[in-house]
Amino acid sequence: MVTDEMVTVMENRSLTGGHFLLSLHAPRQARSTRPGQFAMVRLLEDSSVLLRRPMSIYDVRSLNSAAECATRSSEDGMTGIKPRTASSNGDRSELIQLLYKVVGRGTQLMSELRPGDEVSLLAPLGHGFFEEEYLERAKQTDEVWHVAGGIGIAALLLPAKSLAQAGIRQKLFFGGRTKEDLVGVEDFEPFMDEIVLASEDGSRGYRGYVTRPLEKALDSGYDKKLLLMACGPWAMLQATVELAKLHGQPCLVSMENRMGCGLGVCLGCSIRVKGEGHGSYERVCTEGPVFWADHVIWEKESIPKI
Amino acid sequence: MTDNEKKTSAAGAVIQSSEEEFNPRLDVTVAGIHFQNPVLTASGTLGYGQEFAHLIDLNQLGGIVVKGISAEPMPGNPSPRIYETESGMLNAIGLQNVGARKFLEEKLPFLRTLRTRCLVNVFGYSTEDYVRCIEILNEGAGIDAYELNISCPNTRCGGMVYGNDPKLTEEVVTASKRAARRPLLVKLSPNVTDITLLARAAENGGADGLTLVNTFVGMAIDVETRTPRVSNVTAGLSGPAIKPVAVRMVYQTYRAVKIPIIGIGGIAKAEDALEYVIAGASAVQVGTANFYDPGASLRIMEGIRNYCRRHRIHFADLIGTLRLPDHPTAPATEYSST
Repeated sequence: MVTDEMVTVMENRSLTGGHFLLSLHAPRQARSTRPGQFAMVRLLEDSSVLLRRPMSIYDVRSLNSAAECATRSSEDGMTGIKPRTASSNGDRSELIQLLYKVVGRGTQLMSELRPGDEVSLLAPLGHGFFEEEYLERAKQTDEVWHVAGGIGIAALLLPAKSLAQAGIRQKLFFGGRTKEDLVGVEDFEPFMDEIVLASEDGSRGYRGYVTRPLEKALDSGYDKKLLLMACGPWAMLQATVELAKLHGQPCLVSMENRMGCGLGVCLGCSIRVKGEGHGSYERVCTEGPVFWADHVIWEKESIPKI
Repeated sequence: MTDNEKKTSAAGAVIQSSEEEFNPRLDVTVAGIHFQNPVLTASGTLGYGQEFAHLIDLNQLGGIVVKGISAEPMPGNPSPRIYETESGMLNAIGLQNVGARKFLEEKLPFLRTLRTRCLVNVFGYSTEDYVRCIEILNEGAGIDAYELNISCPNTRCGGMVYGNDPKLTEEVVTASKRAARRPLLVKLSPNVTDITLLARAAENGGADGLTLVNTFVGMAIDVETRTPRVSNVTAGLSGPAIKPVAVRMVYQTYRAVKIPIIGIGGIAKAEDALEYVIAGASAVQVGTANFYDPGASLRIMEGIRNYCRRHRIHFADLIGTLRLPDHPTAPATEYSST
């Protein structure tokens, strides 16, 4: 259930490459978050930054998050994928964590938030990774491969946690421009059977795009039933979707776009999709952000970087 | 007012002493429609109502103006459709909507359950389009009025062609009024030299009221890539940035026509709304603020109530009460840039 609340900043930790991890005290919203959902953050009242900023919900945690460690129980079996609740700590979740990169005025102001400051948080929003129409496929899969480009990583931790709880094998392919973009890798380690990193400048992992090692892995005669889950810039998603199609593996994508409201009324975030719903457009904020890759029309880059 | 606060004279009349709380009436009748309060949500900013039902009490609103509806469904423009600017936003959605028939079947039943007035924004590409859309909507129960959109800047041959030409404005309003079985408001474009000419044309065509104003045509460019920020190249500017210009237009138009005006443009707090009302608006619409603050409209309504209480005035008595300086430097209805 989405609510609009004034929430308190607990921490705004600076990471490498202009990335930050913002922890907000938002118990009600944390407890109703499902993997792949997002939040709209509104900064101070009199800011010239008018609109809220859409951000993936990276993690939900209890206040005593230091005591919390990877909760991985392989005995749960497939039924352990929880579409309704993302957190493994159930009712004790109090924090919503947002992982973001400073790219413009809004995120610059966000990076200046200090513990004790308040922001207005509209959350949780959108259609996540394990909604009914995606869940069946996730349950049938042998292995989930996550593909992340840059800050796209922020959409994938909560689904990774849920899948780990369900005992599903997982691999992460994560690329960025430099090693400084590869933030949060350590958070994924407890849930992944393998992590493959790539950077365009070769400063960490493969040199080049992350889709290169992905292609190799798919090529090496993979006969398992996979599910790809991807989030990142348009070009990376497009390449990933093509590879998935080529190898006959299903792929879910978490899309980004500029958003006015996050509630489905401004129609600012609509993207071209196949079929009839809302003409041939669907809203990233409402029908998405997670779509089947083959539902989206990938003809040309249409999602702005900022 | 509680019983204890009431002081009853021997004749039985309620006397309100200066310390006593004044209970202002917020209801207002505009173009024959009675609103429980003067705060409406602008077309395209609250969807079909349902999207906000879990966040605010829709029954507290004065009215909801539904996103522009055309006789046939419209897909809208490619992404990117919006871009934030300093204290404002550009949008070129392209009038994406489900079409009049689907609106009646799928969206209106929910709106009908509300106490809040339901106004439907109507647009088309030709006079026949407008008329056809109104004729379809006439069949739906629970619509309180139509708002004719002759001012959308974001579709190729969209309404703004009408909105820029007094003759065409009068023509489309006349035809629409003839077709409409409900009061007809006309939403004017600010992208004109003299808005009072268009306002008079709409009045002559039989409009029951005016909505002032739609968005201002604007543009933003990404200098790194030298490309427009919005796929449509130009887009409509809304938000606090446009308010002073829109207030001026309401002020001018109030003096030029007899029909009532609903003011809109950058209203984000009660004081903004009150500026419009004092300039001559009988009601207001909140638009862009709904996007970033779902509770904005109701807070504005409460703010207006507090203002009226403090000034001991009923809302309807506040309309057009601007106190002009003794010797205004320019005639009230003329625009002077000097």
